[in-house]
Amino acid sequence: MASREIISYDTGFFVKALKWISPIFLTFFLVWSLLPLFIMFVSSLKDLLDAFSVPAPGDWAGATVFFDFSPTFAHYVALFTENGFGTYLFNSLVASIGSAMIAVTLGSMCAYSLSRSEFRGKKDLLFWIISTRMAPIVAVIVPLYAIFRSVDLVGTLPGLILAFTTFNLPFAIWMLKGFFDGVPYAIEEAAQVDGQNRFQAFLTILPLVAPGLGAFVILCILFAWNDFLFATIIGSGGAKTLPAATRELVQPQNIDWGKIMAAGVVTTAPMIPLGLLVRRYLVAGLTMGAVKE
Amino acid sequence: MVAVSFNNVWKDYGDGAIAVKELNMDIKDGEFVSLLGPSGCGKSTSLRMLAGLEHISSGEIVFGDKAVNKLPPKDRDIAMVFENYALYPHKTIFDNIANPLRQAKVPQDEIARRVNDAAKLLEIEHLLERRPQELSGGQKQRTAIGRAIVRQPQVFLFDEPIAHLDAKLRARMRGELKHLQHKLGVTTIYVTHDQLEALTMSDRIAVMNDGVLQQFATPQEVYENPANSWVATFVGEPMMSLMEMQLVGVNGETALIYGENTIALDPASAARLNQFGKKELLVGVRPDKASVSLEKSSSSIQGEVYSRQLLGADVLVEVEIGGSRVRAKADTSFSGNDGEPCHLSLNSEDLYFFDAGDGVAIPRQ
Repeated sequence: MASREIISYDTGFFVKALKWISPIFLTFFLVWSLLPLFIMFVSSLKDLLDAFSVPAPGDWAGATVFFDFSPTFAHYVALFTENGFGTYLFNSLVASIGSAMIAVTLGSMCAYSLSRSEFRGKKDLLFWIISTRMAPIVAVIVPLYAIFRSVDLVGTLPGLILAFTTFNLPFAIWMLKGFFDGVPYAIEEAAQVDGQNRFQAFLTILPLVAPGLGAFVILCILFAWNDFLFATIIGSGGAKTLPAATRELVQPQNIDWGKIMAAGVVTTAPMIPLGLLVRRYLVAGLTMGAVKE
Repeated sequence: MVAVSFNNVWKDYGDGAIAVKELNMDIKDGEFVSLLGPSGCGKSTSLRMLAGLEHISSGEIVFGDKAVNKLPPKDRDIAMVFENYALYPHKTIFDNIANPLRQAKVPQDEIARRVNDAAKLLEIEHLLERRPQELSGGQKQRTAIGRAIVRQPQVFLFDEPIAHLDAKLRARMRGELKHLQHKLGVTTIYVTHDQLEALTMSDRIAVMNDGVLQQFATPQEVYENPANSWVATFVGEPMMSLMEMQLVGVNGETALIYGENTIALDPASAARLNQFGKKELLVGVRPDKASVSLEKSSSSIQGEVYSRQLLGADVLVEVEIGGSRVRAKADTSFSGNDGEPCHLSLNSEDLYFFDAGDGVAIPRQ
């Protein structure tokens, strides 16, 4: 195996400057991405008075006031007792996992056939599949709402699952096709010679794309979990999810910051470990295709 | 264990590319047949049609007395070893070898016994718990063979199984595969582009070129009596040299004219060529039957040394004569340098004669 050393020679001014600029940039990036999460978490533990106590401008020593509070879980308790967030959490879980499962089942079969068979118009078909994701959802939400309304799917969990699947499935097909392309066809041929039919051969190679399936399931869950537009319009009423419910905490006469922050934590927390998982799966999946036997 | 026949088999990919043309071949029960040819000659396609991995455009492939055209691979009772082994990367070696038995619903203890027997035969028993990526090329190849021999199929199909091994291991595997096939007695079809593999292992060789079966005969027959000039140059290493010559009659004696040289013919060859009747001939000579020397002799042809390659025990000398080159084996003491004049001696009894027009061999008696 060739060495993996990344060579760089300190020659031009630009290269030298980059050496100083990149840590500074990374520090800013870190603060920019972590600070909101931190503020959200800390604020969710403060009562209303503490949450709005800020030091006078220029008073840097007064910054300790941010941490000068007695933590309270009152907002979390209220969310689940008064606002029924238990139901919304359940709805979010069912809708996102349900749509991910449907998308992975249909998507893997569809991706497999698109990977293995050749037919006229295959490229056009693939383009059509991905093109359904090119239009912004806002553009199709009104007709989609009308269709869902007419079949009584608005405000139901099956309706929401179907809505999420409309944007997860094209994504699944494209992503999984790449993984199937990386599996040598000879393995399925060997399986067929061993006495399996085409579908059994497909099941035989399925473990080989497992990292792809895993990564994809997680991404689909993330997309559906974070979705706001479908959740408020298709899911409103009977199938409210966490983002839609959080939005409703903003009332015209009263914005309940403590609860909003707590709801933000409840919504974000389960997705962070999933985000870390997807990274590992994607790496495993991508290298698997590269080291063909 | 069944006889296999190709009856008028064609493979047409539909875009004007015809991979196999009118293939007719009867393979006997228990026979080891090699399909030999350069890449793209249709040999792999023929094998894959036999396996059911590709459709047969027209014609029939028959196992025993049953046409298998419409049977999917799983119902043909075949075992195949692929060029790139095609092992299941996520399964252990044991599970790889056991897969065909599991598909056939063989009981567990029977599977364990038969996998272990196959592994013992192939000397991979100690690897059964490993996975394919932990194995060397030779071990992977043995696993692939193990998967094929673990049950008694009707036909073994090998698609260049040892092409990716190093030369030493390849030589050893040739012997082992041959031995294994004799022991199991299963009809075997072996695809290779390596004429040495075909010559050493097969009962009969089917030589293919450009989708057409050129000759189907025993290795000895293919070597000694090639059907045409293409087979003659493809089989045999180093390659046979071909020269264009004219047949002439001088003073009642028949001789060959090669450029400005005349080659005398022995009576048997002369009679044969006269009976054939054509004047323009392609004449072939294998390098070990041509001798080259720096000394002129009575019947030798003059040329000059083009190149000199050491083969180990002897030297391969390319001699340039009138624009074409003739290869001859010489003793390592041959000292001719490039460009130096030398003398080539040919014995007419060792020559191969072909029609200069279509390359078809003029048969030997």
